Amino acid sequence: MFLLIAPSVALLLLIHGFPLLDAFRQSLHDGTLINTGSFVGIQNYTDNLTSEVFWKAASFTLVFTVVGVFGSWAVGLGLALLLRTRIPARGVFKVLLLLPWVVPIVVSSTAINWLVATSSSPIPQLFETLGLGQPLFLADPFWARILVCVFKVWISFPFMMMMSSAALASVDNSVYEAARVDGATGWQQLRWVTLPIVARSTYISWILMTIFCVNDFPTIFLLTGGGPIDATNSLVVLAYRLVFQNQQVGEGVSVAFIMTSVLVVISTLLYRQIRKAAH
Amino acid sequence: MSEFRMPDMSRRSLLRAGAGLALLGGLSACAKSKTVAAGGDGQVVFWDMPWAQDSYNKSSDALVKAYKPADGLPAASLQRIQWNNFTTTFSSALASKTGPAVSTGGGFQAFQFAEEGYIATADNLVKKWDAEGFTQDFLPGTLEAMKTDAGYVAVPWQTDMRVWWYRKSAFEDAGVDVPKTWDELVTAGKALKSKGYVGFGVGAGAGNNLGAHTMVLMMINNGGGLFTPDGQLDLLNERNVEAMEFVIRLVKEGITDPAAVSYTSDNQLAQWKNKKFAFGLFTAALDEGVGDTTGDLLVAEPLTGGHGDKVALAFGNNIMMYTNTPSQEGTEAFLDYYIKNMKAFWQQKVVNGMPVLQSIVDLPEFQASENKMKVIAEYQPVARTYGSRSTSLFAAMAQVDGGQPLAEFTQTVLSGKTDAKTALTTLEKGLSAIVKS
Repeated sequence: MFLLIAPSVALLLLIHGFPLLDAFRQSLHDGTLINTGSFVGIQNYTDNLTSEVFWKAASFTLVFTVVGVFGSWAVGLGLALLLRTRIPARGVFKVLLLLPWVVPIVVSSTAINWLVATSSSPIPQLFETLGLGQPLFLADPFWARILVCVFKVWISFPFMMMMSSAALASVDNSVYEAARVDGATGWQQLRWVTLPIVARSTYISWILMTIFCVNDFPTIFLLTGGGPIDATNSLVVLAYRLVFQNQQVGEGVSVAFIMTSVLVVISTLLYRQIRKAAH
Repeated sequence: MSEFRMPDMSRRSLLRAGAGLALLGGLSACAKSKTVAAGGDGQVVFWDMPWAQDSYNKSSDALVKAYKPADGLPAASLQRIQWNNFTTTFSSALASKTGPAVSTGGGFQAFQFAEEGYIATADNLVKKWDAEGFTQDFLPGTLEAMKTDAGYVAVPWQTDMRVWWYRKSAFEDAGVDVPKTWDELVTAGKALKSKGYVGFGVGAGAGNNLGAHTMVLMMINNGGGLFTPDGQLDLLNERNVEAMEFVIRLVKEGITDPAAVSYTSDNQLAQWKNKKFAFGLFTAALDEGVGDTTGDLLVAEPLTGGHGDKVALAFGNNIMMYTNTPSQEGTEAFLDYYIKNMKAFWQQKVVNGMPVLQSIVDLPEFQASENKMKVIAEYQPVARTYGSRSTSLFAAMAQVDGGQPLAEFTQTVLSGKTDAKTALTTLEKGLSAIVKS
């Protein structure tokens, strides 16, 4: 039995185990992209955990993830519920609503940049026409954070909509009829009927979206590069900048390991919720 | 007609046949990769970056194919390497001895790899060129910038110059002269601002180094710079502080674009194209990037700084040779051929960089561009590198140029919400951490 699965295990170890061990070894050295450097123990980890830049990136990662997960879930669930109703051209809407997810991020981020980047861009022009001034959507740290989070919600809600639609498809309409007979309002039906029924699927989608958000590099990097002045620097962008821009490989890889550890803890907690929901 | 029949095959023989095919595939993959590796089949492998549009790639392909080595010397082959994470691509290839024999690459790459012992110096080639009188063809300072204590770590092939551009119609509209000094820059900037133009057009958004280059140029322009003559970090010197105070003044006077911190190079091009930017720093190919054929976008004189220094900032793109080669003599012969025949790129107008050879400058195709000729005439003689007060380049510059601290520093200064000393102190702290590692 063990001999039969040995090739697969060996292959998995080779594909996953070796790079992981090598990366961990790098995180214990102070090398660059060119040389391995000297062994520094856990100094890279302690340097990061005591660095202001790291905690600023961690805090933005948290905000980005919370807004990304719950924002896209709220919009996705809302649209999934709307698409359950009998609206004209429902099929067309379903396809159109998937577009933000289908379009490559390189294309959508370029489009967003074109919409907001300069004073001649359409949205700043619109704001000016409305007498609202010209907000610096990408240049002002406050607006840049909001824009990046909104962009994440926009590209992610179709995924949540599909997950919610799939879960809602399994709900029998008779459950709602019974609730209505008992005098439940629309809100009460959502709170006490819909959400508990789709809870398991919701927790799974939260886990997946949390992983997507924490590991999301292109959304942030293509739109702001982590700026202005580190305002939208997330942990994954920080890891990239440390490794490939600063050539501080050990520090960058240690950020990735810290990130992975936290992600495992969060995923485990959410997984426990799934098991509870199943009961 | 004979009937086709599958041979009888047991499960075991089928597995054997499958294993055999897999082995064959593996071996052929090895054989294939061997031809790519330096010297794998005795060829001089040249790794070239995509320096411009596809027309450049085709032109350099043709140049390599046309190489006819002398008897006994190896032929050459070309492989195109993408810019994405190119340092990692080169590092891993060199470490596994599957790298090239000769390559283009990042401007400071040769200096980094030389410190690790991967570079074969071009000293023999330069001696040969000296004997032929060919070194006289190199524009002043271009070849010398490649020299280190260990010798010539590379030879230059084009210069990426940072150039002050202006829009003639904007200056006419504002009724002000094109600035030649920092004081005039302020005066012109205020006049341009009153007409809705930007008098100090920069950008420091995602992936855009032009803002950082502007900051470094302003420091050098004021007699300062990032490094001491012996290559040590020197951020908080008086000249740097003055230079950054001057930039912050431009920001506070509203002479810069308030959204500049987020501008990509495409955004900068758009601002030039939309006639918002009237004066600013860009590459030598701004007019081509904007598509201006009206002669409204012109090269300005290099600015004279606060203490009378008139300088320009240049990045010497170069070709380097590696120790892992099937034949050092063969590699040198190929590089000799390539440098002496690269004029085709300028004749076909497929590169944007400035030539390093006078013979290319003299080509009628190059002379046709007044802007480019002005860059050669006025910028090349006063061009400095990131080393500024040092005569040569060194490895630390690669980490500094592409690094996060300089980018963040630029954004901080261009936001105007800082003072020069605080910003430079943070920069020094950030760069010290990088350069030490």
